[in-house]
Amino acid sequence: MSTVAYITARGLFGRRRALLLLPLPVLLIGLALLCRGYDVNPSDWATPVLVGLGLAVMLPVTALIVGTGVLGSEVDDGTIVHILTKPLPRRDIILPKLAVAVVVTAVTSAVPLFIGGMLASSARLGLGLAVGAAVGACAYSALFLLLSLLTRRPVLVGLVYILVWEGLLGRWVSGTKVLSIEQYVITIADRIAPHVLATRVSLPVAVVMAAVFVIGSTVFAVDRLRSFRMAGETS
Amino acid sequence: MSETSVIHDIGYQRYEGPRLGRGAVIGALVVHGLRVAFGLGRSAKAKIFPWLVFGIVTGVAVIVGAVRAQADIVILDYVQFADTMSWLIILFVAIVAPELVSRDMRSGVLPLYFSRPLRAADYIGAKFAALVAAVWLLLGVPQLVMFLIAAFTTDDGMRGVWHEVGDLLPAWAYSALWAVLFAAISLLIASLTGKRAFAAGAVVAVFLMTTPVFGVLQTLPSQNAQHLAGLASPMMLISGVGLWLLPDTNPGWSVGRFGPVYGIEAVALIVCCLLLLLARYRKVASL
Repeated sequence: MSTVAYITARGLFGRRRALLLLPLPVLLIGLALLCRGYDVNPSDWATPVLVGLGLAVMLPVTALIVGTGVLGSEVDDGTIVHILTKPLPRRDIILPKLAVAVVVTAVTSAVPLFIGGMLASSARLGLGLAVGAAVGACAYSALFLLLSLLTRRPVLVGLVYILVWEGLLGRWVSGTKVLSIEQYVITIADRIAPHVLATRVSLPVAVVMAAVFVIGSTVFAVDRLRSFRMAGETS
Repeated sequence: MSETSVIHDIGYQRYEGPRLGRGAVIGALVVHGLRVAFGLGRSAKAKIFPWLVFGIVTGVAVIVGAVRAQADIVILDYVQFADTMSWLIILFVAIVAPELVSRDMRSGVLPLYFSRPLRAADYIGAKFAALVAAVWLLLGVPQLVMFLIAAFTTDDGMRGVWHEVGDLLPAWAYSALWAVLFAAISLLIASLTGKRAFAAGAVVAVFLMTTPVFGVLQTLPSQNAQHLAGLASPMMLISGVGLWLLPDTNPGWSVGRFGPVYGIEAVALIVCCLLLLLARYRKVASL
């Protein structure tokens, strides 16, 4: 089990594209410092920076790149065969890969969000955002890992989810918020540090639905990997 | 091998037809690129994503047009329509740009392209033209749909139609600006990696991470900073150019007297992206 995790982590960080994870956190902290330096009222910049950039862009995009990368890149390379032919239960393949994705996503998004929250108002807000981001990292990673088993183009399906479902519909059609991970994250962060962020779903809904996303996606992904079929590059 | 070795003519037929030059190669690449963009000539799977985006954008246009025709409420005019669809345009270039350039890198066919009378600049020009045309169609066709609905339901007869034409043409030019800028940036990003998945993610990340920068700069106390805030984000840059050249539009912020700065940056950004692409392909082509 630890070997699978080691291979996955090396696959993620062994290449140049791991650098893709850097610009977003740096930008977030930079913007927070800029606003802090100009003494802008935190209630003006907290929402665009922490929610608009941090929770709506940085967290899902990081989770998308990492979550589809842990399994998807091995499917693309064909090296997944080497793991699949070992006498391992499928659960022991999915879980370490999911764990690596969650840890990487959580660290790269929770740390800058914590710093940003601290610069905005207090360590309490920072903590709230970090906890929310960690929960979001679990839910997003599980979902995107599942996508990389369901379709040959997981990144595009994930982008449609982030941009169209959470981005466009979440703004105009309020009913879709119950099925939007971004809203769970905001709700959880708001619960820990109230009165800074606008929340739209209730806390029990957020916690239960996030758990449903994590467990449901993981169980389904294990099931899909049982009957996984290798195929060539699609058109 | 003896010194008098000869190449025997074993009777294969020679090609005697006309030989088409660079122009024909570029033309073929543009047409091919445009077909790739919409998945024409490919399996149904390749058509899903481009047509999904196209369908959503056209659907919105039909709704906007119908509401205006029936209830006489203008939700979005032609120019605002392009602004509002910005997230879908990002999605579209994230789908299409990797398809156009990353695929060729991944499968290692670039040496085959460049063994023809085709230069790096031609290859980039053809891909760029194809993507610009595709993005422009994505915006222009729904705008045309809106125009048709408005034209057929106008109460003023021919004068109303002419009035609509006067609104539509600047909006088409504005859409072309969206297409050119987004095509240049997304092709540059996509050409950095051969993996379509990573290219798509990177394109979206670059466009989305610049939007909050605009929001933050807008909150700064200096008025000049607020007027120049749009320079930080490609979408707001285009919006700013629109504000400068089409004063009727009102997206809720102002560029003050810095309109020309927006125009200069838009042109400079497009030229820079294309030059960087050229530099990139000079290197790739020599592999």
